[in-house]
Amino acid sequence: MGKVAEKESIADIRALLEQEEVVLHFPQAELGPYTLRRVKTSQCKVACPLGTDVKGYVGLIAGGEFKKSLELIKETNPFPAICGRVCMHPCEPECHRGEVDEPVAIRMLKRFVADYELKQASEKPKVRGARKTGQERVAIVGSGPAGLTAASDLARLGFSVTVFEKLPVAGGMLSVGIPPFRLPRDVIQAEIAAIADLGVDIRTKKEVKDPRRLLRQGYKAVFMATGAHRGLKLGIPGEELQHSLDALTFLKGVHLGSGERLGNRVVIIGAGYAALDSARTALRLGSRHVDVIFRRSKQELPYPDLAREAEREGVRLHCHVVPVKVLGRNGRVRGVTCAKMRSGPADEVGRRQPSSIKGSEFSLPADTVIFAIHQEPDLSSLPKNHSFEISPWNTLVVEPETLATKTKGIFAGGDAVSGPKSVIEAIAVGHKAAASLYHYLKGKELKPAPKDPGERQAEVVIEDWVPEHKNRMRTLREAPKSWRNHFHEVEHLPSEESARREAGRCLMCGPCSECEKCIAECHQKLLALSVPGTTGEQVLVRIPWLSDRFPNGHEPWEVHIQGPAGESLRALASPVVCQVWEELCRGCAECAQVCEYEARKMVSREDGVVVSQVDQSICRGCGACVTVCPTGASILGHFTEARITETLEHLLAGSVGGKRKGEGARPHIVCFGCNWSAYPLLERAEFEIPAGLHLIRVMCLGSVNSGLMLRALELGADGVLMLGCTSEKCHYSFGNRVAETQVDMAHKLMHTLGIEKQRLRLETISSGESTKLKRIIRLFATKMSKLGPNLLRS
Amino acid sequence: MDEIAEAIKQTKAYYCLDCGKCTGNCPVSLFDKAYSPRVMVKSVILGEGEKLGKTRLLWSCLSCKMCEERCPSDVQYIEFQRRIRGVYRDLGQREFCSHGGAFQSLMRIMTAPKLKQNRLGWLDKDLSVSKRGEDLYFVGCLPYFDAFFEDLNVHTLNTARSTIRIMNGLGIKPMLLENERCCGHDMLWAGDEDNFKRLAEHNLKEIEKSRAKRVVFSCPEGYRTFKLDYPRYFGKLKFEVLHLSELMAGGSSQNPLSLGRLNKAVTYHDPCRLGRHMGLYDPPRELLKSIGDLELREMYHNKHTALCCGTSAWMNCDLASKQIQMMRLREAKQTGAQILVTACPKCQIHLTCAMKDTHLGGSLDIEIRDLATLVADSLPSSKRKK
Repeated sequence: MGKVAEKESIADIRALLEQEEVVLHFPQAELGPYTLRRVKTSQCKVACPLGTDVKGYVGLIAGGEFKKSLELIKETNPFPAICGRVCMHPCEPECHRGEVDEPVAIRMLKRFVADYELKQASEKPKVRGARKTGQERVAIVGSGPAGLTAASDLARLGFSVTVFEKLPVAGGMLSVGIPPFRLPRDVIQAEIAAIADLGVDIRTKKEVKDPRRLLRQGYKAVFMATGAHRGLKLGIPGEELQHSLDALTFLKGVHLGSGERLGNRVVIIGAGYAALDSARTALRLGSRHVDVIFRRSKQELPYPDLAREAEREGVRLHCHVVPVKVLGRNGRVRGVTCAKMRSGPADEVGRRQPSSIKGSEFSLPADTVIFAIHQEPDLSSLPKNHSFEISPWNTLVVEPETLATKTKGIFAGGDAVSGPKSVIEAIAVGHKAAASLYHYLKGKELKPAPKDPGERQAEVVIEDWVPEHKNRMRTLREAPKSWRNHFHEVEHLPSEESARREAGRCLMCGPCSECEKCIAECHQKLLALSVPGTTGEQVLVRIPWLSDRFPNGHEPWEVHIQGPAGESLRALASPVVCQVWEELCRGCAECAQVCEYEARKMVSREDGVVVSQVDQSICRGCGACVTVCPTGASILGHFTEARITETLEHLLAGSVGGKRKGEGARPHIVCFGCNWSAYPLLERAEFEIPAGLHLIRVMCLGSVNSGLMLRALELGADGVLMLGCTSEKCHYSFGNRVAETQVDMAHKLMHTLGIEKQRLRLETISSGESTKLKRIIRLFATKMSKLGPNLLRS
Repeated sequence: MDEIAEAIKQTKAYYCLDCGKCTGNCPVSLFDKAYSPRVMVKSVILGEGEKLGKTRLLWSCLSCKMCEERCPSDVQYIEFQRRIRGVYRDLGQREFCSHGGAFQSLMRIMTAPKLKQNRLGWLDKDLSVSKRGEDLYFVGCLPYFDAFFEDLNVHTLNTARSTIRIMNGLGIKPMLLENERCCGHDMLWAGDEDNFKRLAEHNLKEIEKSRAKRVVFSCPEGYRTFKLDYPRYFGKLKFEVLHLSELMAGGSSQNPLSLGRLNKAVTYHDPCRLGRHMGLYDPPRELLKSIGDLELREMYHNKHTALCCGTSAWMNCDLASKQIQMMRLREAKQTGAQILVTACPKCQIHLTCAMKDTHLGGSLDIEIRDLATLVADSLPSSKRKK
């Protein structure tokens, strides 16, 4: 072996910096001078407007920890069940799995855990932040996802929050825009109820005409999240006819129960969410023929999945078609004249601008025409002397960083400011608003703004590791023909097994999933996860989710080592931790008794046999358990007994029965040196080390048992010097005591054998005591010379 | 390899019928399904021994001889196993040592010619020994075990003291060797013949020097090694080899002991070396029965079917060992006996160690005594002392 004597200090690694990679043979399991650095993050998290720890919660689902997974989602998203259904999932197109086969079904997995926990319902998942009785009152106008997210955040921060909603139901566009077959009403109610449970007062049918009045009523701040509820038409002839309406009016009418009769033929203009939802709703209300017209090509459909679903239900989709004129008779709609289009040259954002084909006009018969073109905020109810700045697009203008309007204390955000956007973006705005209000009211930052997450995006190199092809789960099960008959949810919940399998498809881009499970598990509180963007973005020791890429954590993995000058070094490491060879373990619990880190546990196996187990996240690799193990079942990584014996045999070769003239005459001294005091001192000793001194590095003197001491003597060592930390300074705090017991035992046996006790000596020093070390070694060598050679050598 | 062929021939392994009675009765196979004496024989005969030779299974056999009791072809399996171990040891394979290899080191250190041990410090003043005489007591490794297993509360030197007390009671003042070595039993069974021979030569030389006519053993391993193995390697011995129980129960002495009373139920655990190896089933039992009021109860497995204590030669102590020990302790508890008596220090150590398992919650706890100490405590002299 002899490798033990090789120098592998930080200095050597620095010297190797030119190389791509170095292998660190004896890194520590504990946080010492080596600090492991979390390397970047996964794309899915970066893509999410909320920065949801997608990889973390997917990983927890794969591990079957559904409750924890939901808790993790809830850290950033108060509406997991809702987003699990209607989120536009910007994460999925970014998923690296898509480069292998198909992206992980992230949205469906979120719905799975949310529903799973709703179903269990025995225990509500923990949400961080205790509910406090509010001091300062805050008003929120509008109960859509932006308003409610802000309400939830502010309530958790201890404010007394009131939400004013104009409509008879809370939820905004969730309740009056999205139809129940995509988002069941009980799901919306359950998640809104959870927010109400935080102490948020949600008042429906309360229209706020002038938000300034709220300030006068004693609310310290107001957040306007009134959404974009005014549907637009195109401005073509005939659109003012009866039964020609915009999609929002139509959907709101249906959901609030005041809808009109549509007739058998319905033409929908546009192919976005509102258009497809309107088309499918029309089918369910009994219309026989529903035509959707879209002015671009089929490839340019904004939501191809939803369009496909609508088509399977029986909606007819006409692409490259624009309406020219709404036809009427007796003031009522009779049809739509349309024109065919062709794709033109691409505009500056790359979209090909369609142009109409002359003479291609045709008519579609219709009893109702629904325009689903665009929506804008409905600002008609604002008082005339309002102080808001209104943009040309009829939206509220705010300061982009703070969401503040021109009136002090009034903030605005969401669709009312940006025009129609997705649910997940609205939630993100809600968080931003809460942070801004907090800052306004408390005069301090809620938390530092994160760095651009794009910088930390992890890359997965698929070439050097080809993942197995695994199909994405399919969740639609009911025959599509029957969907159109009811308003029930059409997407089915996957089974527990298939959800876990789907989560298992995650490639785990970036080594750390940030699921924080390790931190929760570590009862020694050794681990901490630092917030990205703040100082010291380091410290994460173990990869919490074990997969086939990281078998048992024994495989070397890449670590970033902080060098003495703070520089970052790359290295492969496998930690010095204990393992149990179960076949040899006889369950005597000696190891569990000696380990003061509580890293050893006695567990009863399925067959009733009791064996010892190592919690390698706690084990610090001192090796005391190896010493006390009677059978050799405890094994310390790198420092195995076989390796140390081999080293001894190599170093002492020829000293037993060999010729004692010249070279052999000097005393052979085996010195077991503690890694934390004597070994480094001796390794770079400033004094001359006697020629016959053989240094053997051990993690702790407590890892040297009496057998090894006797082995050194048996193999011909004249003396065995045990050099370790003083009892107050023992690196592992108890290793010293273990070493003393073992030396006592060896002394007893040596006494009976008739070997001089002086040949084995335990000396303790502090890591700085170079002079003392020199004296100890000189004295010991002199004594050994006086005693003469070990009787086994003659 | 010639050595393997010779081992197969001499141990009659050729006669193996492949019936599997050995495996069916092997205590190791009972708990370690990977180990099978039948497969071991078969693969060595078929020239595939190398595969097994590199595994832990090479060292699994306890040499308890249970298999040989049942073998219809009289294959000498344990001798076969011992020789195969020797072959692979020469090829660099090593046994899996218990206790960090401390005992293996001790034994090898004892091969040093110039060794001057301090091994008689335990000799109390009330024990009578002599410098010259016909009888010699071979103490064995008891002083080392006593030191090493102090934490286990197994004080093996009490066996040595009791043996001398008994011999004194029989009117014998034994000689003791100042520089007695390990008998080499463990080295032999781990396939290390060289060190075995070195130790044996030292011992034979010392005994010859003492001019003893009879050598008495309390340890079954030493007894077997001297009686069977020494003559094989060194020819007929010039002295008689006796076990303590033979000395007493055989009535070879003119002074039969009169023992006191002990109103307790005891059960006797046959050490493999004393029982199946040497056939001494009855002398220890007769000795126990001669203690007044003592009730001897037999375990389910007794005499030639007795279970081994699970570990042999300080190697390959493992999960199966523990299981065997627990099974043995359970059998002892089932007899309702208050004391488990054995005649071997290692059985005493191993069974005591198995009781330590905290998960058992003391359910297998039973007092374990050595035969010699139980008898010595019943001597009239020791009673008076109390």
